Amino acid sequence: MTDMKRRDVLRYSAAGAVTAATATLAGTEALAGPDRSDMPADRRTDRDKKADPWDPRDFDELYKGRRIRGRHLLGSLLRGQDELFVGNRKLALTTISTLFFPADGSAPYVATGYISAINHYDPVEIDDNRRRDGLKRLGRKIVDILGDCELGEESARTHHH
Amino acid sequence: MAVVRKSIAAMTIAEKTAFINALRQFKTASANGRNYNWYIDQHITYFARTTDNISHAHQAPSFLPWHREYLRLLELDLQTVSGNPNIFIPYWDWTGAVSPFTVDFLGSITNGGVSSGNFSPRWGWSMYRSSIQTNTLQRRLGQNASRPTVTTINNVQSYTVYDQAPWNPSVVNSYRNRLEIELHNRVHNYVGGHMATREAPNDPVFWLHHCNIDRLWWIWQSSRGVDTYEPRSGTTNGVIDNFESMRPFGAGRTPSAVRDISFLNYSYA
Ligand SMILES: [Cu+2]
Repeated sequence: MTDMKRRDVLRYSAAGAVTAATATLAGTEALAGPDRSDMPADRRTDRDKKADPWDPRDFDELYKGRRIRGRHLLGSLLRGQDELFVGNRKLALTTISTLFFPADGSAPYVATGYISAINHYDPVEIDDNRRRDGLKRLGRKIVDILGDCELGEESARTHHH
Repeated sequence: MAVVRKSIAAMTIAEKTAFINALRQFKTASANGRNYNWYIDQHITYFARTTDNISHAHQAPSFLPWHREYLRLLELDLQTVSGNPNIFIPYWDWTGAVSPFTVDFLGSITNGGVSSGNFSPRWGWSMYRSSIQTNTLQRRLGQNASRPTVTTINNVQSYTVYDQAPWNPSVVNSYRNRLEIELHNRVHNYVGGHMATREAPNDPVFWLHHCNIDRLWWIWQSSRGVDTYEPRSGTTNGVIDNFESMRPFGAGRTPSAVRDISFLNYSYA
């Protein structure tokens, strides 16, 4: 675990005890999971190389003719390290706790959302229930924003909120 | 010199031309030690928490004073670079009928790359640190969000508490957070393309949009009190208090120092 990732854990986890437990878990890199060594190299992410556990929400699909791939890391506390690729480029993700305003005008509520360089003012909600498909919805939103363009180099740069 | 910031609806052709030409000039020439891309760098740097663990520009109480100072500096630099002390940043009232996206102003293409006309690459406008791989300014008006209505604006303006703990995007009862999310974020998303990104000042409409945000804050201050910034004291971790300097603007540039626009050489018409 890099220092940067450790800082994220500290920032986004609610309690110190949870932080310690998560840090230990994240440090265990050789957890069992499907062997993806037969995947073409360009399809493998850092996580595949470490053989992390498969998350049923992970995806690799074509949306409007563009390939989007998503990998979920170790549960809700590390969401900021979930991975999204559009084409062959990785988009750095940050999670924030923010108000969401439902389109139907009902009362706003606080939840976790992904932001990135591309959807900087438009967090995409993610949770383990109703909004568990957040990473895929984010991937599709990014394609919509990009139009005909690809992700640029700046999009992989991480930042913290 | 003191200027009056007008609505885009009240601008003359000559004022529009002077404004966009000054922006273009500032892309390649510096003034007061800064150039246009310096502003994009600052926006990217101070969107995130910096090494002082403070959120200076967004998702925090200093969102409004930080951008007030940011706009004031740009206005000054545009006056300097153009040698025209009458240049002002106009505001875009999103509820009005007049659009900034016209042939004679910020360019009329709003559904993809601005490939011709004002703010196209051929006109002299290039992208800097773009997270979208292109050198052409992108806009996708209305694809991702709609403009705020007068009702929404009035509702936001009715919040009486400037901001409160936890001083972030999750505060419910906070004028700053409501303004930031419901109006500010929404219009960034309404314009789309580069305005939706971290490097949003690549689109010149950024300034017109933030000018309207600043105007709404000033209207709010005029009824709720000019000296209403929160937090007041220096004990709040991770946020700028009323007497703390905002980076990168330097010593003394505190929320308190920018609270009254009559000392900042501009007013709103
Ligand atoms: Cu903004």
